[in-house]
Amino acid sequence: MSARRPARAAAALALLGLASASPAARPAALAAQTLRTFTVARQLHGETRLVTRLDYAAGTLRVRPGAAGDLYRMEVTYDEQRFRPVSAYDAPSGTATLGLAPLGGSGLRPPADPTTPQLARLDLSPTADLALDLTLGAVEGDIELGGLHVTSLAVSTGASRTVLHFSAPNAARCSSATFNSGAAELVVVGLGNSRCDAISFEGGMGRATLDFSGAWSASARVAARMRVGELTLRLPRSVGVRLTLDKFLSTFRPAGLTARGTTYESANYATAARRLDLALTTAVGSIKVEWVD
Amino acid sequence: MRAGNAGPARPRSGGVRARRVGALLTTLAACSLLAARPADAASCRSTTHSRTTTDATTAAADAGGNRLTSTVHEVWSLVSDVSELRPGDVVTLVRQMRAGARDARVAREGRQAASRVAADSQAPAAAHPGVPAQAIPPAGPGGLTVDLGTLDRPTLLESRLRPLTELPASEVRVTVPGGEARLGDFRLAADQTLAGPLLVVRGDADIYGRLHGNLVTLNGDAIVHPGAVVTGDVLALRGEVRDLGGEITGEIRTLGAPLTTAGAERGETPAGTRALGRIAGVLGLFLTAAALGLGLVVFGRRNLEIVSDTITHSFGRAFLTGLVGQLLLVPTFGMLVVGLVLSVVGILLLPFAIVIYGLLAVIGIVGGYLAVAHAMGETYTRRRLARGDLTTANSARYLMLGLGALFALWAAWAAFGWVPVAGDLIQLAAVLVTWLLGTVGFGAALLSRAGLREQFAGRLIPPEALTDEYLWATPQFGVPAVRRPGAPTTPGARTPTHGPERR
Repeated sequence: MSARRPARAAAALALLGLASASPAARPAALAAQTLRTFTVARQLHGETRLVTRLDYAAGTLRVRPGAAGDLYRMEVTYDEQRFRPVSAYDAPSGTATLGLAPLGGSGLRPPADPTTPQLARLDLSPTADLALDLTLGAVEGDIELGGLHVTSLAVSTGASRTVLHFSAPNAARCSSATFNSGAAELVVVGLGNSRCDAISFEGGMGRATLDFSGAWSASARVAARMRVGELTLRLPRSVGVRLTLDKFLSTFRPAGLTARGTTYESANYATAARRLDLALTTAVGSIKVEWVD
Repeated sequence: MRAGNAGPARPRSGGVRARRVGALLTTLAACSLLAARPADAASCRSTTHSRTTTDATTAAADAGGNRLTSTVHEVWSLVSDVSELRPGDVVTLVRQMRAGARDARVAREGRQAASRVAADSQAPAAAHPGVPAQAIPPAGPGGLTVDLGTLDRPTLLESRLRPLTELPASEVRVTVPGGEARLGDFRLAADQTLAGPLLVVRGDADIYGRLHGNLVTLNGDAIVHPGAVVTGDVLALRGEVRDLGGEITGEIRTLGAPLTTAGAERGETPAGTRALGRIAGVLGLFLTAAALGLGLVVFGRRNLEIVSDTITHSFGRAFLTGLVGQLLLVPTFGMLVVGLVLSVVGILLLPFAIVIYGLLAVIGIVGGYLAVAHAMGETYTRRRLARGDLTTANSARYLMLGLGALFALWAAWAAFGWVPVAGDLIQLAAVLVTWLLGTVGFGAALLSRAGLREQFAGRLIPPEALTDEYLWATPQFGVPAVRRPGAPTTPGARTPTHGPERR
């Protein structure tokens, strides 16, 4: 009996060796996941206006001012097993629909591979008037709109972390800027440069920072609603600020503001050339006020 | 202006590095063979240079004609790429070189270099290697027909056109409604005008003239030269759109070739490396458990043996106790916290209580697991002792044997966990067995109060076992009494009867 043991052990080892050497057993073959690059661009042929609808489901997003000869350009690296690129342009309305849409509907799909992150870069014309409608899913976004001709802006984020900059004054007058944040972290920097007449923010859960610094060219109205989370307001000292607050279970620290009932005003509100009227509604969370020079 | 291959900067993956090194080695080898011919060598220099430097530096090096600098740069680039290789990359490189695989990027760069050498943009485009330039005949009824009127779904279009890349040139057939299809490189001269969509397969489309319609290239580049006009969309599938100054009124789209096709090529740890890592992890855990167990043998052998005996003699009871103990672990903790919070002293004691509770739980689980190993080893060793295979035994031997058995499953998972299905099954078995025995050990630790109570350890000897009286006493049951001499032969009633008739 004991003589058979080495033979059996050798047979077992040989079987395991065969199993390990089998190409079909390679996990790499099963776990094959393909990244692809997709680029879409359009030359500028005298267009003066562009409506951009970007729907980006997941990944990292960068938005920047583009080259003078391009109306727009999007470069995306995506997982072709889970997403498909979207690009369409309607010439009569001047509307470009861009982005990355998830494939399929129901059923089990392998989880996204963290080692193969999706990347997208969108360059926008620095000369055409832009109406931007950005819908971001599970996205880490870095959006720079400074120096562009933004006439309207709508940003809707899901479970994302997005930083939006107006590093330079908007080259066009912006009628409205709307931010809708889900379970997300949203930071908007330089709203004073946005030149938007009306700004609205609606936050679900998470944290949001609205920075109103920049070169103010006109007064503005802001309506902000935060359901659950923390809202930080960075207010420039040079602008007269009036804040109307409607809160439920929220804390509010009116640093530097004088309370008049449910209204808070900065000392220079009556005399300031540019005024910022804020209407805040919060349910659960906190509102912080920070002053910037 | 380039519309393709200008994606966001990404870290170079192992597969890309391997391909770069492979391409460089191949090119350098070819150039060494052609070194005797100055013209070819110059071409090679330009070709290899284009793989490692930008166009600007290539132009500068070519203008200077400094061959030594170029060679040093090539060697340095090669050394740099080789230094970044990992073991998995080497495997990829060997596999690629063996298969003679050359990816689309290398081919494209080769064509770029060839076109750069050609210099004159008006010269005929270089022939696509291996593909004779020709018109593609229309497909017959039921054959492949692609409508190039709208190019909004490039991935869909590519999936339909993909078979054309695998067929021999003589068998390629496709119908383009209202347009035409070409195989191999195609050139539309400056004085030519073409109406309708154009499909170019396995070749570059050099547009100098006017194209009224969409342009699609598959496995090739779309090159729009200065003065050229394309009144439609341009789509390059597995290629690039190179706008050198022409006018394109429609969309410019590029769908690149897949960057990676397998997990190993996208920087994923190879199976061998993962297995080694897991084996090291399991070995580390084994050594840790062995160290703890030997410490327990030295400093708490009595407790360990009592828990071990509890497992041996009350396995089912220990399992049930462990199961209930696991279920009550969190509620008990909650009750403890709530109870302590109700008083000021309790609040002060709360941090200590939390730490002690956690510590006791860990001791119970880990100690119980080690006791399971001890019990397994003891059982096995006693069997060998009974057979005469062994002459000595001690707790340390029990423990190490048991731990070896317990970790055997995890070792199997570490070595073969990457095998599809079987690996998952091994892992599942290891988890279940570990949980089962851990539960038993935890229960035994609870039952024996961490080895302080021997009630369930089978060590309580019944009083009658303390004497040897049972060796000689008349058995009270099971042995028939001897019949008295002269007694009636027929047996009477077993049950004594009480009544006047007996009298």
